Formats: sequence, structure tokens, C-alpha cells
Amino acid sequence: MLMARHCAARLCGISMKYHATEGCALKYDQSRIRNFCIIAHIDHGKSTLADRILEKTGVMQLRDMTDQVLDSMELERERGITIKSKAVRMPYTARDGQEYELNLIDTPGHVDFTYEVSRALAACEGAVLVVDASQGIEAQTLANVYMALDHDLEIRPVINKIDLPSAQPEVVKGEIEDEIGIDCDGCPLVSAKQGVGIEEVLEDIVNNIPAPQDDLDAPLQALIFDSYYDNYRGAISSVRVKAGSVKVGDRIRMMAGKCEFDVTEVGAYLPLGYSPRESLNAGEVGYIAASIKDIADIHVGDTITLANNPAAEPLPGYKPVLPMVYCGIYPADGADYESLRDALEKLRLNDAALSYEPETSVALGYGFRCGFLGLLHMEIIQQRLEREFDLDLVTTAPSVVYKVIKTDGETVFIDNPTNLPPVQEIDWMEEPMVDAQVITPQDYVGAIMELCQDKRGTFRDMKYIEGGRVLLKYDLPLNEVIYDFFDQLKSRTRGYASFDYELKGYERSDLVKLDMLLNGEQCDALSIIVHRDRAYPRGRSIAEKLKDAIPRQLFEIPIQAAIGGKVIARETVKALRKDVLAKCYGGDISRKKKLLEKQKEGKKRMRQVGSVSVPSEAFMAVLKMD
Amino acid sequence: MKPLSLYVHIPFCAAKCAYCDFASYPRRETDWGRYFDALLDEIRFWSGPTGFGRLSESYRVISMFIGGGTPTLVDPERIQAVIEACRGIAPFDGAVEITVEGNPGTLSPDRLAVYRRTGVNRLSLGAQSFDEGLLKSLGRIHTAGQIGEAVAMARAAGFGNINLDLMYALPGQTMDQWRAALDAAVALDVEHISAYSLIVEDGTPMAARVASGAALLPDDDGVNAMQRAAIARLAGAGYDRYEISNYARPGYACRHNLVYWNRGEYLGLGCAAHSLLGGCRFHNPESLDAYLSGKRMLEVTWLTRRDAMEETLMLSTRTVRGLDTAAWAEAFEEPFQMGREAALERLQRGGLIEIGDGFVRLTPRGMEVQNAVVLELTGDME
Repeated sequence: MLMARHCAARLCGISMKYHATEGCALKYDQSRIRNFCIIAHIDHGKSTLADRILEKTGVMQLRDMTDQVLDSMELERERGITIKSKAVRMPYTARDGQEYELNLIDTPGHVDFTYEVSRALAACEGAVLVVDASQGIEAQTLANVYMALDHDLEIRPVINKIDLPSAQPEVVKGEIEDEIGIDCDGCPLVSAKQGVGIEEVLEDIVNNIPAPQDDLDAPLQALIFDSYYDNYRGAISSVRVKAGSVKVGDRIRMMAGKCEFDVTEVGAYLPLGYSPRESLNAGEVGYIAASIKDIADIHVGDTITLANNPAAEPLPGYKPVLPMVYCGIYPADGADYESLRDALEKLRLNDAALSYEPETSVALGYGFRCGFLGLLHMEIIQQRLEREFDLDLVTTAPSVVYKVIKTDGETVFIDNPTNLPPVQEIDWMEEPMVDAQVITPQDYVGAIMELCQDKRGTFRDMKYIEGGRVLLKYDLPLNEVIYDFFDQLKSRTRGYASFDYELKGYERSDLVKLDMLLNGEQCDALSIIVHRDRAYPRGRSIAEKLKDAIPRQLFEIPIQAAIGGKVIARETVKALRKDVLAKCYGGDISRKKKLLEKQKEGKKRMRQVGSVSVPSEAFMAVLKMD
Repeated sequence: MKPLSLYVHIPFCAAKCAYCDFASYPRRETDWGRYFDALLDEIRFWSGPTGFGRLSESYRVISMFIGGGTPTLVDPERIQAVIEACRGIAPFDGAVEITVEGNPGTLSPDRLAVYRRTGVNRLSLGAQSFDEGLLKSLGRIHTAGQIGEAVAMARAAGFGNINLDLMYALPGQTMDQWRAALDAAVALDVEHISAYSLIVEDGTPMAARVASGAALLPDDDGVNAMQRAAIARLAGAGYDRYEISNYARPGYACRHNLVYWNRGEYLGLGCAAHSLLGGCRFHNPESLDAYLSGKRMLEVTWLTRRDAMEETLMLSTRTVRGLDTAAWAEAFEEPFQMGREAALERLQRGGLIEIGDGFVRLTPRGMEVQNAVVLELTGDME
């Protein structure tokens, strides 16, 4: 279920060496350029195919190859996902004897990064659609294809994993033709794993994906499809030049960002490094470095032009990146606050989509309210903070951004339940909705419909696909999707269903703020905004989890779930029964001292809510919500 | 002259008990001679000029405790030599309390006579239980019958101050067995009874049994019930509880024991012995071999004001007399209540402490959760 993508350059920013331009000194000729991406459902073999292509074109020698060359973050390899966009230039001598310049733009597959995917697609003329010969079309296959079609890309299907005993290439071809309406006649049959059919893919790209037809003489228009930070070059833009050209020394202007910089370096990407060039011209893909200190000055989707000869219009489709999912991230030990801030700062250097601002919580102390593109994005940031910066974190329940229309007519967006205006000032509230599509074996249709019903979904459409599978479309509230939808879907379909979604705007909804009270004191870190129908079961479930997670203390602790002062669920942590050392033997008080120290440490790690000590695990237990 | 107490550790026993993780070594008879030589050397050291001055010039000994291990296992003449040597450290007070700890199975009239001649006036017997089955499962070397015999023998030798150690919360121990043990101890008409709840220490055979499920421990409520039964039964027989685990007839509270809780000064001699002297804590090595190789005075720690406050709080609240708020104010130059108002109020309202007449003391219920109460009162000391 979890997938994403990311950019060779990103990794490069951290560890890339300066590589010479060996073998890449092609003469500029647009008709020999092919800009393409690879789209696929997770596990259909996108990264492996990319590896084989790099190998085949000779830019990577076999000895340099590790699996998933383009996925250079530890996390990407481990999870088999791509988190950022990557671009690599490869020279390829085709069967027609001509040498071509292939630019592979790798894209993340996950919905969290939909906008970034769309910008990467906009940088291409074609897309190689990888479909697993035994799995067939999945939800993300469709989502990606529709997006590619939106960008008028030439889609070239490739059937992968034909080496598997369960491969049914003909059935899958039929599925693609029926569901997507793409002719699969003569499409390459490939085993990326075994290196079979790779040359056919390359030939197919050269012969069928159109060359760019950009105007070299027009004012510069370069589309930014990714950004990252390089310690030596500053913030770098990955671009597709759509018109004109740019060279070192040019003064460039970010058309949406409205700031200007002097170009210090332009070039193309090699798998393991930079290949600086004199200029980047219309139709080409590469990077622009301009001593930009803050990555926030580079917006994915923005258009770069020249200050002294600006384009009349930016390229279409620019949207500022808006976080969709928020949560609070706190250091488990308050002393780590500074380290956490430094770590977030470092991560944001390479990830303009991550936002954070300081936040204080009675229960958790000092921390940050962080915004993410989606759940996967959130999970990845959390894991990177923990692994790469060795931080112990407490994370609050993820929440979406609600729209509150106040009685005085004002509209406010709420990303933190604590900031919700008082009930009497709220006229109505709206929540973000998604268009969801699920592809599942027929047997699980009932289970999925039940799940979507449970999750307050509205049925939109159902369609039978070849191979006994069904495509279901639902409108779902985003806050239900971020809650435990993935886990539920997985367990109810034994992992056979695939799921994808796209945001579709706000809808009015009967939402309430659910508060948790410990010994009568409200604990803001545990407050959530929920649909009224959900409030009772959620309140009861949180109360039960807290009861198990909060250790017994000197006095009984009532735990209450309440809506606007009305208690809807209650649990009790019984008082501590016994906590005493029988003996201090022979004047040796060290054991007692050690025990006390240990308990003091333990208490320090807990957060005080009124007179109640709440361990981080209690917050975690509530957050996990399984 | 300041009061000083002496603790002497005898790290030898006939067999290791199942719950024991103290410094105590069975089958080391061949080292007894070397050990007592080393011990006497250490006593001679403390009898001369030390980093704390010459102790005899500023201290007098008010209590001495010879513990173990099983001090009654070794030749009584060795114990006699140790006590005699200790008189060189500082003069003994006229009313000095000298306790020897022993196993009921290791006593004899001759042995007891030697102790008496040397000035030993208190005998502390590790009875632990009166149930043969429980004694066996604990790995004790004595029988229930030997406890009564030992008390009778001690009386005959002239001991007028006898303690029995009892243990509860043992695996498999029923409330009835515990009541029977209390009855049996009361019937022996001793002056002092200690009732310790079993602590399962890591690395002991008992811990392994508990981990494997072979030994089942009572739950917290069960343990509390046993402690309450002890308080009630012993009070009925004229034993006042004066500390979490200690009960005595009027006038027989163990002076040595109280020194620990009141942070009086004490010097520990021998393997694994701990000291609080001249504002610092230190101890000898746990290991017999390390002690024999000459290692002494480890982890010398000068106590800060905050250490002293924490210790005072954690130790004095174990006693029924409680924390002396006037003494606190004098020692630390700030009222005990300062910064603790809310916690004290909450604890008092919850029936865990009593405040008044210059003392803050834990109620019987408060003592069941003493660690947590102390933690509540230390919190603001940071």
C-alpha cells in the first residue's frame, strides 16, 4: 500500500561526487531527445526496470549497480519505494544507428506526492507504463495513467515479470486495452529481473515517444519538477526547459516565487553525479544551480525565466504545495527540542513540502506542528528523524485541515483541534474529501463496501475488470482515510486490494471536538475532531487505551471522553496498591536510591497533566489506534 | 562527642538461600582466617588517624551490628576479637547496643556465652518462617523447631533483647501460614520482630523460579493484606510498628536500625559494608576476593545539600515517627513545606500522610506506597 518516489539528485545532494562528463558529450539536437518517465503500481517492477535501462545504456557498469540505483535513500531501498523525483540522462545508440539522449525522470508512485508526480509528468513527452504480468492493472496504475493522459503523454505499455509461472501476458494486455484503451499490440514483454526485453523497451521509446518540439528561440521557460539541497551548490532546481535556453551567468527569475538569482552552474544528471554543461536548451532536462540558500525559494511547478528577457506567461499548472495532513512532533525528552528543530531544518532543505512551526502543548511540552502531503510523507519524515537524527519522538494523532465557517461569516482553516473556535462561534464545519478507487478481487467487494460504508463513504461507481476483479469508486472523508483505512483494507482483503485516492475539495459535515479528561483536566494533545457518529466509539477506544497505558499512581485516575463538556465515555486507572522496598540492608541505601532515581527518571519522561503523570507510550498507544 | 554506629559484615554462610543476593559465600572456610586478618587490619586503620581525623577524638560508639552472611557460623572467638578491636576506633557508650545476627540452626550455649562475655546484648535470629515446607523452599538450613530452641538457648545465656526476622509474600505462602508464623513468633515472647516482604532479586534461584512459573508470587493486594495482618496481630501482642518492616515492645526499637533511617553516622567494616561518615558515603567491595586483595572505600561520594534532602525524605518517611520538619528547617534553612504545598495537600487529603506536631509521617496506607509518596515529594526538588 505504501509507495512513493524521489530524485537521484536528492541523494546526490548529500553524497554525490563530481563526475566527469564521460560519454555524454552529445551535440544538441532536439529530434534525438526522448524525455520519459516510468509509471507503475508498487511492486510491478518500476525500479528494477530503471536499473536495467541504466545498465543497458551503459551509464552504469554492472559493478556499480546496487538494486534500485535511483532509490538512494536507505528508506527508499528498504521499503521498495521512491520518495523523490529523479532524472538521469543516458546516451543510447539505437538499432537505426543514431545516438539518442534519453532522459529518464523517475517519479514517486504514491498519492501523497501527486502534485510532484504531475510536475514530473509535465516534463516528459511519454511514459512507460509497467504492468505486472500476473497482477494486471491496479488502482495506482489507473491513477497514474489518467494523470499521464491529462498531460497528453504518449503511453507505452510494458508487460513485466513474464518470467513468473503465474504470468498471463495476454490477459493483462486485454485488461490494458479494455480498461485504458491503449493498443498493446507488439508491446515489449519484459523480465526486468532477468534482463529480458530491455532493448525492446529502449527501441520502443526511441521509435514511439515523440521528441520534444520546443522553441529554442523563445524566452526561457524552464519547468521546475523537483528541488533539493546540495552542500556545495546550494538549493538546486531540476528542470525541463520548455523554451529558450539558460547558461552560466544568466540572471534567472522564479515567475511565481518572484525572486531572482545568478546561475552558477547548469548541466545534466548522471546516475552518480553531475555533468555540467555550458547551457541547457529547449527540450532538455537537467539542473540549474544559482547559489540559492533557501530551498523554500524554489517551488516545484514554478517556471524559471530570464530576468532580462522574461517569458510573457509562466507554464501552466503551478499550485503552491499545501500540506494535507498535520500532526504535532515532540521530543520524548524535552532536552532534545533544539536537536529536533535542527533535524527538521535539515530535512526541509531537501523537502520543500514539509512545513513546521513551533507549538507548545500542556501534555507534551515544546515541539512542532508539522504539515505533510499525506500519511506516507508523515511516516517517512518521522522515520528519518528517528533514524538519521537518532531522536525519540512523540507524535500526536494526525489530523486533516478542517474548514470552519464562523457565525460572523469568517472562514478559518483549522489544522489543530486546540485552535477550534468555541462551539457557539461555529456556524458549520467542512472536511476534505477524496475520490477513492479500489481494485479488488471480486470476493472482497462486500467487505470493501462495508468498510467504505463504515468510513462514511459515498458509493460512486463499480465496474468489472477482466480476471475476476472489480473497480470500486467511492467518495471518502480524508480524515477517515488517515485514521486506519489502509490497515482495515489490508486485513479485510488479505492484502489483495489496491487503493488510490485524489483530493476533491471540502464538504459540509457534522463534526465535533472530542476531548479527553484525565482526573478532570483536559489534555489537549489527545483532543481530536471527529464526525459526531464516530465520537462515541472513538472516545471509548481512546479511554480504554489510556487506561492500559497510564501506570497506576497514588490516586485513582478517572479518564473521560467528552464533547463540549458532556461525558460520553469513562474509564478508571485504579490507585497504585504497593510500591515499597522492604529492606535497606546493612545501611546500604544505594538500592533504594537507585530505585528512586529510576522512578524519578521514569516520571521525568512522563508528561504531567494536572496531577497525572502520562507516559509517552500512552500518547503513542492512542495515536496508533489499531 | 558525636554518636557513631559500627556495622561489621561477615560474608560467610553454610548455604546460599534461594532469595539471597547479599555478599555471602558458602564453602569458603579456608578464607575465614585471611578474612578476619584483613578485617582486623581495617579496624586498626580506622583506629588511627584517618581522613576524617582520629575518630576516637570526636565520636563515641552507640551501636554495633554484626551481620552477614551468618556471623554465628564462624568461631565465636573471631567475633570476640572483632568487637574487642572495634573499641579502639572510638570509646563505646555505656548503653551501647551490640547485635549479632544469626541462624537459629547455628547456635550453641558455648557460642552464646562467648558473645555475652564480649558485651553482645542483642541477638537477631533469621527465623523467616515457621513452616517446614516454606523454610525448605527458601533454602534455609534450619527447621521450625530450632527457632524455639534457639530463643530458649539465648534466654538461658542471658539475652534480654531478641529479634526474629520473618518473611511474607513468599511463593505458595497462604494467609493462614502467615498468621501461624506471626502467632508462633509472638508465642516465643521476643522483644522485637522484623517482618520483611520478599523481594525477588535478579540472578537469584528464586528469580529463576518465578520466571519459569515454578514459583507464584501473591499479587499486590495479597501482599498488602499480609502486611496488614502483621500490623494487627503484632499490635495486639504489644509490638509497636516503628518502621515499615519493624515492630518492637516499648523501649526495644533497634537503635542501630534507627541510625540508618535518621541518617546518623555509621562506619561499615568488612566486605560489602557501607558507611555514612563525615558527610560522605562510601563502601567496601561486594566481592570477597576484591576485599581480600585490599580494595577499600569505593565510590566515595560527598553528599550535596540536595542529596541530603532526598535521603532525609526517603529514609525518615520509613519510620512511624516520620520526617522531623523542625530538624529539616534547621538543617536546610528552608521549611519542608516550601514548594510542596500542593503535593502535601493532595497526599494528606488522600489519606497517605499525616501532617502535624512538627512531623510529616506516612499513614499505614501511605507506607504501602512509600516510594511513590517520596517521589511525589521529591518532584519539586530539581
